[in-house]
Amino acid sequence: MAHHTHTSGSRDLKMARSMCWHCQSEVSGEYFCERCVKVQPVSKETDYFTCFGLPRRLTIDQRKLEAKFYELSRAFHPDFYQNKSEAEQTISLGNAATLNTAYRTLRDPIQRAEYLLDLEAGSVKEIRTSPPSDLFEEILELQETLEAYRASDSASEASRTLRAQLVAEQAALEGRKHALEQQLQRLFTDWDALQDRGDAGAQACAERDRLLKQMRDLLSNRTYMKNIVTDLVATIG
Amino acid sequence: MAYSDKVVDHFNNPRNMGSFKKDEEGIGTGMVGAPECGDVMKLQIKVQNDTIVDAKFKTFGCGSAIASSSLATEWLKGKTIEEAQQIKNTDIVQELNLPPVKIHCSVLAEDAIKAALADYQKKSGDKTEAAQ
Repeated sequence: MAHHTHTSGSRDLKMARSMCWHCQSEVSGEYFCERCVKVQPVSKETDYFTCFGLPRRLTIDQRKLEAKFYELSRAFHPDFYQNKSEAEQTISLGNAATLNTAYRTLRDPIQRAEYLLDLEAGSVKEIRTSPPSDLFEEILELQETLEAYRASDSASEASRTLRAQLVAEQAALEGRKHALEQQLQRLFTDWDALQDRGDAGAQACAERDRLLKQMRDLLSNRTYMKNIVTDLVATIG
Repeated sequence: MAYSDKVVDHFNNPRNMGSFKKDEEGIGTGMVGAPECGDVMKLQIKVQNDTIVDAKFKTFGCGSAIASSSLATEWLKGKTIEEAQQIKNTDIVQELNLPPVKIHCSVLAEDAIKAALADYQKKSGDKTEAAQ
């Protein structure tokens, strides 16, 4: 063990390293100190993928994520810290909370993508893009129809016509949202393939920025559509 | 979280809701959205002799977003282009007493004002160029 601690410094240069809060020996990205076996806090710099030992990809092994989450949830479970020091209780509780958030974020493909975009945005400053005016006009118009329907007398012919119109709009929007999600899925695959190639050339960089921007656009449009669909469903049920 | 009285008032009695025809003379249109929450805001100004004579909005979003844009249209009326540029989201926050989680609604309203002004200036600039 002592030997390992001694040499790990030169061998795993890439690993985030810090000191054990308890015995001051070096700990390298693990949750427990190798020497004194005390629980270590998840570093603020550790991204959610690293938390679960997963590569930073948009398609992930869901079963592996779940298994690792359960394993870590057990490792940090308050029951095991009842007789430990206050510091250890605080750390394990903090870790459990962080991992809960991390799990919820990575479990959902859309949230996972939003998160990855946040991580990657540092190098693609301002992924902001021009707003989709046509979609906005459509949403605002649809909202007016919704309001007219809400204000109408439900027994009237006008109300029935409006309702039929809204039902059709909802189906159309859901179809478009689905198509958009499939398009996103293709971008996810392209993104992962690009990462797997590990190419840092100019062309790869341009491709990377293009993918990030496209994903940003589609994710935003999806949110706008999702909101109006939610409103539609709430109104016409 | 409870909305302030002013937010509730603007929400229940929105000022200047509606729209102008985009291509009409002196109209500037600002269309903005918040990808995080999905709110959409359209704000339009009608300009005559460098003064905003009328303003209208349509907003799809929460009460604070509606109140922010409603208030913005009220403030815009009677202002010159120059004066309108000075409206800050923090003024809206203060007037409506928006809590921290709703500050982004005021930012959206400021963005909408800026976009409408920019659209008006672009359109009137194009016209001057064409006339020359």
